[in-house]
Amino acid sequence: MKDIDTSLLGKIDELTLSERIRNWKKAVNSSEWKLFADRERWTASSWQETEGQDIQIRRARLLEKILENIEIRIQDCDTIAGRLAPDIIGCATSFDISGDYIKDIWKDDDQLNVTMDANVGLDKESIEILRNSARLFAGKTAPEMTYKAWEEAAGSWARDAEKAKLKDPTLDVGIFGQCTSVLMWEKILKKGVRSFIDEAKVRIENFKKNHETEIDKLYFWESAVIVCEAAIKHASRYADLAAGMAEKEADEGRKTELLEISRICRQVPEFPAKSFREALQCMAIIGVCKNYENPMHNNPQWGRGDQYLYSYFIEDIKSGAITLEKASDLLSELVGRWGTQTFVAAESLKESHQINFAINNIMVGGVDKTGTDASNELSYLFLHVVGLLQLSSPTVGLRWNKETPEWMMNKAIRTNMSTRGGIPLFENDEVVISHFVEDGIPVEEAREWCGLGCVYPCLPSRAEHYGAEGVAAFNMAALLHLVFHNGVDINGTLTGVETGDPREFKTFDDIYNALMEQIKYITRRIFWLAAIARKEQPKHMRLPFLSVMGIEKTMENGRDLLFPHPDYSMFGISDRAIVDVADSLMAVKKLVFEEKKLTLAELLDTLDSNFEGARGEEIRQMCISQPKYGNDMDEIDSLVGKISKDSYDIIRSYDNAPYRKYLVAREGLAWHYFGGLGAGALPNGRKALEPLNDGSLSPMRGADKKGPTAVLRSALKAGSNESYASVLNQKFSSSIVQSEESIGKLVAYTNAFMGNNGSHIQYNMVDTNELRDAKVNPEKHKDLIVRIGGFSAYFTQLSPGIQDDVINRSEHNI
Amino acid sequence: MDTVYITNIQGYSIHDGPGIRTVVFFKGCPLSCKWCANPECISGKPQVGFIELLCKGCGKCVETCPRDAINTKEGKHRIDYSLCDACGKCSDNCSYGALVKYGNPMTVDEVWDEVRRDKMFYDESGGGVTVSGGEPLLHPDFVRELFELCHGEKINTCIETCGNVNSTALREVLPVTDYFLFDLKHLDSEIHRKYTGHPNDRILENAALLIENNADVIFRNPLIPGVNDTDTNIEATAEFLKGLGANALRFELMPFHRMGKDKYRALNREYLLGDLEIMDNETLEKIKDAYIDRGINCTISR
Repeated sequence: MKDIDTSLLGKIDELTLSERIRNWKKAVNSSEWKLFADRERWTASSWQETEGQDIQIRRARLLEKILENIEIRIQDCDTIAGRLAPDIIGCATSFDISGDYIKDIWKDDDQLNVTMDANVGLDKESIEILRNSARLFAGKTAPEMTYKAWEEAAGSWARDAEKAKLKDPTLDVGIFGQCTSVLMWEKILKKGVRSFIDEAKVRIENFKKNHETEIDKLYFWESAVIVCEAAIKHASRYADLAAGMAEKEADEGRKTELLEISRICRQVPEFPAKSFREALQCMAIIGVCKNYENPMHNNPQWGRGDQYLYSYFIEDIKSGAITLEKASDLLSELVGRWGTQTFVAAESLKESHQINFAINNIMVGGVDKTGTDASNELSYLFLHVVGLLQLSSPTVGLRWNKETPEWMMNKAIRTNMSTRGGIPLFENDEVVISHFVEDGIPVEEAREWCGLGCVYPCLPSRAEHYGAEGVAAFNMAALLHLVFHNGVDINGTLTGVETGDPREFKTFDDIYNALMEQIKYITRRIFWLAAIARKEQPKHMRLPFLSVMGIEKTMENGRDLLFPHPDYSMFGISDRAIVDVADSLMAVKKLVFEEKKLTLAELLDTLDSNFEGARGEEIRQMCISQPKYGNDMDEIDSLVGKISKDSYDIIRSYDNAPYRKYLVAREGLAWHYFGGLGAGALPNGRKALEPLNDGSLSPMRGADKKGPTAVLRSALKAGSNESYASVLNQKFSSSIVQSEESIGKLVAYTNAFMGNNGSHIQYNMVDTNELRDAKVNPEKHKDLIVRIGGFSAYFTQLSPGIQDDVINRSEHNI
Repeated sequence: MDTVYITNIQGYSIHDGPGIRTVVFFKGCPLSCKWCANPECISGKPQVGFIELLCKGCGKCVETCPRDAINTKEGKHRIDYSLCDACGKCSDNCSYGALVKYGNPMTVDEVWDEVRRDKMFYDESGGGVTVSGGEPLLHPDFVRELFELCHGEKINTCIETCGNVNSTALREVLPVTDYFLFDLKHLDSEIHRKYTGHPNDRILENAALLIENNADVIFRNPLIPGVNDTDTNIEATAEFLKGLGANALRFELMPFHRMGKDKYRALNREYLLGDLEIMDNETLEKIKDAYIDRGINCTISR
């Protein structure tokens, strides 16, 4: 455990949001969603200007054009410059990334659906800019070209499989390797962007001096120089803007503030940050540059902010260079800004993620490189600030380990109370680190892990491909549907393998083996297509800025990160809906093969009728009353464990050479609603198309009859130990943390679970009544956050299906 | 092996003694308090409850009942309790959870097998097992055996009791019980009888007995508006506790709630306090302060 100044913790507890930040929050809540077409203006003109040049240079010039020309503003509430849209809330589009992906721009009714619930009106000029860009890029982007490649190789299979929700995501979500991961913040802050330019220039010189021939490397280093210079230029535009505003500013206080912004923006990100404020300003500029390069699913990630920012923070506090109030204020500003940034996502992403804001993750606590718990005063401040801000993003994870101090856990539970939204969630440091080490990652590096979006762990030093190449998850519930229909999916298409007429199955093992066959068939096809995508995408897309800021090795290798690397590229997949499938198989085993209350044909017919018909409801009730995961019952819990292990083995037996094997990390997001659309009625009693269970280790809704501790015992028994991550959601009535004593009890509860190798847990602290009321009177509950899967969302912004789901989830009433 | 009727075994209980606890609810109670939140635990025999809201009128229960105790004449579901022997066949066959059997016969080993599973939570939180009900001390041998098993595994033990039991029962469990949660409902014996069916003399004697034997006791008071929140009762209770000595001053108010109401309806029993309002926070705090002013270490259970 680190030596920390505990008196500082008490002072942090006293901090409130400043008037400035409260005003900003008010403005966020009252602002209309606004789409800014400006980025498209510059992408299109740059792309036309650079025609005929190498793709690496073209993409660098495209970013340069944006950074030098896009409209920038400093809002009255800003003390840190650098926003993705000039207004308080705004979003950008990405036709250069995903092609003609927003259907609404071709309608003439001025309605443009950009998020779950928001339509933005756009003026004629902006619409024309968007259409122009869509025309220019349509059909030529990396996702579109990859779909063409897939079509050549596998016909319509990929599209069909996506339509049947067998796998996700689709390619137009615009995720490429490292897209969703963290940058090398420590290096960027300590060395400044100028050092990257110097490094690239040396390599360029050597290339020429040594008569090297790999011309793509030269293009890469040149692209690195272009984008880094552009980032510095972008900061200097803010410096000029602030200086100009200061001249006209009547208020002396604000004038000084603007001059300070101007001074700092000439310092960072070009040169090393010398203070806490400079560090945050550097991150703000680098963050927008990263986002301008690829706004899709590409929010800057904090990662371990409490570690790389700590020295700046604590030195400034100790020396008196900054007050605690000011430090908290600055941190709130950037956490808030990044938490409310958004982008126009592809249709499929809206459906699968159910959110308005870009995913963005802060990881606090956890061990340092030496293995010592590194929770510190800044970890505490991060928790306090997210508790005050009460936003649905960022996701905050606490890296739990046996040395996690009591004060940190106590603050974490208090933060859960104030956000009511399961912030932070808890992940097991020891479990994650040991997995990375088993997979050949040096332990010092493994100890630096952080959350990618929600619970999926990633390493800041490596290119994470999770979600790229069309691979994040496959849907085991939809695969069970294939088994029950001899390979035919929910849409009536033969996307699976023909495992035989299920009505002819004689034993339980026949069904089980058929499922494993489907898993093997589907994963092999997904991996095959991903390998093709890996070859195709770099022809059409490069991300030089992300390559340089995100991965140490890209500079040395002279390769953009769109080219995966055998060592530093990481691949992962989530095999989802294991509990739904296990509960379903258990019901078949009991009702058909052991107690013989139904024939398999009878059961399958009932499923096909969606539990309609004379005995439909009765059979559904029989299905529901079979043993369910989450009640500490050995037989079903072991079945969950067996399916998990067998699925893992199938995934791991795929040889991804020359790249690393796919790792398994069972994160969930808000995917269960989307996943449910891929499966007909299931023998666990779930009706067709209804949502699946939320989270990889949460019990079926309403099936956990023996209370919260029994759920945890089931989770521990079912194991899922082969997975890097899992998701266990527990919804508690907020009454369970109403006293000091009860907070301590929830801390102990969490410690007991994690101490026995639980990998993840998160709590929802809401009253069902409150949720019901929020559904009817959303305007009164705008701030109500709930957890679904791995991250939180505003309840009132969820679709009615998901809202019901949250309400119906069995509440552990104490 | 001897069995007792258990209505529920509830994990992650955080209001029933120190730490995270598992509460075992025994069926059967010598008192019948009008405010009782667990009316299914008053009778010592198993019972079947009916939850109208969940009934779909399928009639399966009528078919399965071996004693023809259920009828749905005039479209209304009725259980004739004079015929029902609570065999539970109807609840086993009800697909909708509308029929509930209260009270399952369990042996000490069966209860032990359930409660020991949460040991990791007890260890981490300083919690353990609490027996409640109903009145667990109607079965002192059972409790003693269960608690001996708990102590064998270093699991902490606690009894929630109404106090109206034979003093030999208390003496029997004393050596294996770490904590007592002991109810003091009213100091006026006549009022006590009016609301609970029994006078309080034996309860007060047993309270003294526990303190004399150096037991770790928290006294508890189900705070019922208009019944035991009067100045006179507060004064009398405080004086009584102080009379017992310095170890008897921990006192917890359990504010009246109506959570048990639906269970009365399920058992076709009249809920006598249906109109009683829940006490507001301000009044609650005042009562707490009144005890504190009288030297009692009073807290509110929330």
